[in-house]
Amino acid sequence: MKRSIQVFGLCLLLLSISLAIPKWRVKAASPPVSKVSAIQVLMIQSDEIKLPAEFQISLYENLIQQLEKKGGFQHVYRDGDKNAAGASDLVVLRGTVRGFKKGSEMARQVTTVTGKTSIDVHCQFTDKDGKSLLEHDLNGKVMFFGGNLRATLDFAKKAAKLAHDNFVAKSGS
Amino acid sequence: MEAAMRWPSWKVSIVFLVLLFSALAGPSFAQQAADSVNVVQVVGLSGVKEHAKGTLTVENGNLQFVHSKAQVVVAATAIQDVVTGNDSQRMIHGFVGTLTMFAPYESGRFLSLFRSKLDTLTIKYHDSDGGLHGAIFTMAMGKAEPLKKLLVAQGAHTSIPVQDSSSGSNPKTDLAKEQKP
Repeated sequence: MKRSIQVFGLCLLLLSISLAIPKWRVKAASPPVSKVSAIQVLMIQSDEIKLPAEFQISLYENLIQQLEKKGGFQHVYRDGDKNAAGASDLVVLRGTVRGFKKGSEMARQVTTVTGKTSIDVHCQFTDKDGKSLLEHDLNGKVMFFGGNLRATLDFAKKAAKLAHDNFVAKSGS
Repeated sequence: MEAAMRWPSWKVSIVFLVLLFSALAGPSFAQQAADSVNVVQVVGLSGVKEHAKGTLTVENGNLQFVHSKAQVVVAATAIQDVVTGNDSQRMIHGFVGTLTMFAPYESGRFLSLFRSKLDTLTIKYHDSDGGLHGAIFTMAMGKAEPLKKLLVAQGAHTSIPVQDSSSGSNPKTDLAKEQKP
């Protein structure tokens, strides 16, 4: 009985160590962040790809909502907002649609494996002067549940996380 | 004042009729008012939850979305673009619709085949600070185009010209055609 308690305690100790180590490693490996207090989101552009208006608006609005929800930025400015000019440390996010496949909600619900909606967006983060700070291709998709516009929410969550991870000052650092 | 009180009743009646006529005729020349349209605000309006149901009205040069908890007013002249489109949804949607997806013998999939068509109305507008906003509404089939016409008549801009319903074409096929690149 006593031996089994010891073994159990040892297992718990090993488990807690194994869970803690990756966190230390991630912290040590994370690149230095460029701390900014404000971000401005420009309207998503789709010059090469024919994107329906509702997808363009949904991408833009969901992106702003997710950035506000994620926190970290004191201000999330919209495209054309005059107040953004007064922000000293501002990062500007430009999104350009590089690929779009409108699936079918009905096909997804009936067959499960077909009807995927997918959007590929090239995200460019620049400073106020237009100097590129970070570029990344992100994808938003809906494969099973929800309407086609849900793909834009998937993209917005990924883009907000990317912005948060790279431009928001981590607490305690 | 005393002179006005001494007017004969037939003169008062004529004045009353003229005032009534002008009140009825005025809006058709200056500001066309639309009946309220039941819509679902998909995303965009600040202070309104996603997929909030409400009514959309175009009158007095404004687009008004009235929700149980909020009222949002956008000036038609502030609307940079208004575009209509179409979509479809399951006949049985919402929470009950989600539950039917787990119905036995794949009957949920079968129910997904029964769908209702929807119109979408997408607007882009600027706030007082110049910030660009967008909003998407869904509504019953055939309701979006009249709303768009009213908005354009009251000063809204559009990247796709308003279709003329007097041409005798089928409005359902017209709605299906409008796509913004």
